[in-house]
Amino acid sequence: MSRQAQRKIFIFTFLIPTFLFFGIFTLYPISKGMYISLFDWSGSSEHMTFIGLDNFKEIFRDPIVWTAVGNDYFLVLGKVIGIVLLATFFAVAVTRFRIRGQQFFRIAFFIPNIISAVVVGVLWRFVYNPNIGFLNSFLSLFTKEQIRIPWLGEEATALWSILWPSIWAGVGFYFLLLVASILSIPPSLYEAAEIDGASQCRQFWTLTLPLIWEQVKVSILHIVMTTLNGSFVMVLLMTEGGPDNSTQVLGSYLYQMGFRQFHMGFAAALGVIILILSLITTVILQRVLRRDAIEYS
Amino acid sequence: MSLSQPTRFFKAVAILVLLLWTAAVLYPLLWTLLSALKDNPQFLTNKPWSLPETPLHWNHFSYVWKTYHFGDYFLNSVYVTVISSVLAILLSATTAYVFARFEFKGSQAMYFVYISAMMIPLILGLVPLFFLLNDFHLINKLNGLVVVYTAWALPFGVFVLFGFFKTLPKELEEASYMDGAGFFRTFFQIMLPMARSGIVSIAIMNALSNWNEYIMGTIFINEPAKYTLPVGIAIMQAEMQYRTEWGPLFAGLLISMVPVILVYILFQRQIAEGITAGAVK
Repeated sequence: MSRQAQRKIFIFTFLIPTFLFFGIFTLYPISKGMYISLFDWSGSSEHMTFIGLDNFKEIFRDPIVWTAVGNDYFLVLGKVIGIVLLATFFAVAVTRFRIRGQQFFRIAFFIPNIISAVVVGVLWRFVYNPNIGFLNSFLSLFTKEQIRIPWLGEEATALWSILWPSIWAGVGFYFLLLVASILSIPPSLYEAAEIDGASQCRQFWTLTLPLIWEQVKVSILHIVMTTLNGSFVMVLLMTEGGPDNSTQVLGSYLYQMGFRQFHMGFAAALGVIILILSLITTVILQRVLRRDAIEYS
Repeated sequence: MSLSQPTRFFKAVAILVLLLWTAAVLYPLLWTLLSALKDNPQFLTNKPWSLPETPLHWNHFSYVWKTYHFGDYFLNSVYVTVISSVLAILLSATTAYVFARFEFKGSQAMYFVYISAMMIPLILGLVPLFFLLNDFHLINKLNGLVVVYTAWALPFGVFVLFGFFKTLPKELEEASYMDGAGFFRTFFQIMLPMARSGIVSIAIMNALSNWNEYIMGTIFINEPAKYTLPVGIAIMQAEMQYRTEWGPLFAGLLISMVPVILVYILFQRQIAEGITAGAVK
């Protein structure tokens, strides 16, 4: 067999199985999802009625969708601020403040990231448990009467109560990312800054932050995408969208409409909306966060 | 070098905050263990942070393992995790290698399709995926989860391993071809072992996310005997409304967490590498 033929066979055998898997179980469901969004379909019956954009019209009229979009962006904003601030602070502290135990902090802080969302959900639900939970028991130390606030059961507190575990479980990953980024800055730059008498604070603003900005940006975009696409897992585990749909996000509403109420076309259309929102948001953010890359030579 | 006064203050604050966060991430692990050893009355009357009373209820572990079938869930999780991680590595390494080393018509477009798929929300495909698996008779089958977990891990695997193979020197293959080895032998005997560290990172990250995965597990499996651990825990938590067994619930959490934490401590370096490989570049 000629070398050329061997090469062809090799390329095909290495590409085809992977692409079949990927095509059948990723590309096909995604495109089928967009297709189904144009139909009225309960899933079980053979009848799929083409209704054009009616699902989308229904979505725009549905007040729960608007609540869900608001909640999605509340979680995005809360997680971006909380995670980026904490991760940056921790990363600067263990690298630039000459604090010992860098390796220990790196190992410890990542632990929440490797634990299943289900476990995180159960643990935090116990924290918020109105009768025997951590939070109320702690607060009751300072009051005469036993406090019994149903943190996850009241509209005023439920969404905030979902935000904290999401931040807690997210920081470690971005912390590791930023530590790696700061460690890759040449130490000579800091030495020069010290000789010039720049304070730690000044070194952070003029040296560290500009040089890790690329990673901060990546982190922000990554948080935004994973939140819009994945925060529904936490919502389902903590409140199932309640009370009274007040903590619903688009993903959890999709889950409920699709797999509880068998409103498949509507659910698929919600999926399309999530895709569009996450694309638009990342494109806009990429523009907003653009800042000329600074290179010190 | 001596630090100036304000820096010393900042440093003290920083250490304090770091220690607080350390407590926030480590204490829940300890607390889960302590709580697994308590019986119901201790939960209802004592403070949540109080230590368990003797005798310690170690039997909660065997209790969830048998009565709540966590033993079965554990084996199901092991099966799904191991098979899908190995499959995903094999499938993504082969394709990544071809993209990294062989030019052919459409190779760039194909690579782009894989990479773009990382941006697509998984949830968009859930509804059709359910019916697709149903057509293949893979609903309520562990192999259904294997197939889905494998497929969803491919884009990230291809992306990272592509970068890995790119960094390996081409001379390696040229020498191998000179020795008369074919493409396949060169890949499996020379290139694959060379990319070992990247492959281990990806395999572990896949394994962790498959072990922890909940949503697809709960949608595609509705038969209690086939539950994976996260699904089993969620179901048990939901049942808490009817029969309260806090101690066994936390014992169940621990059964799910311990393997993950062991793997994490053993492979800490590779996991950190995997993260930076995926994002810093």
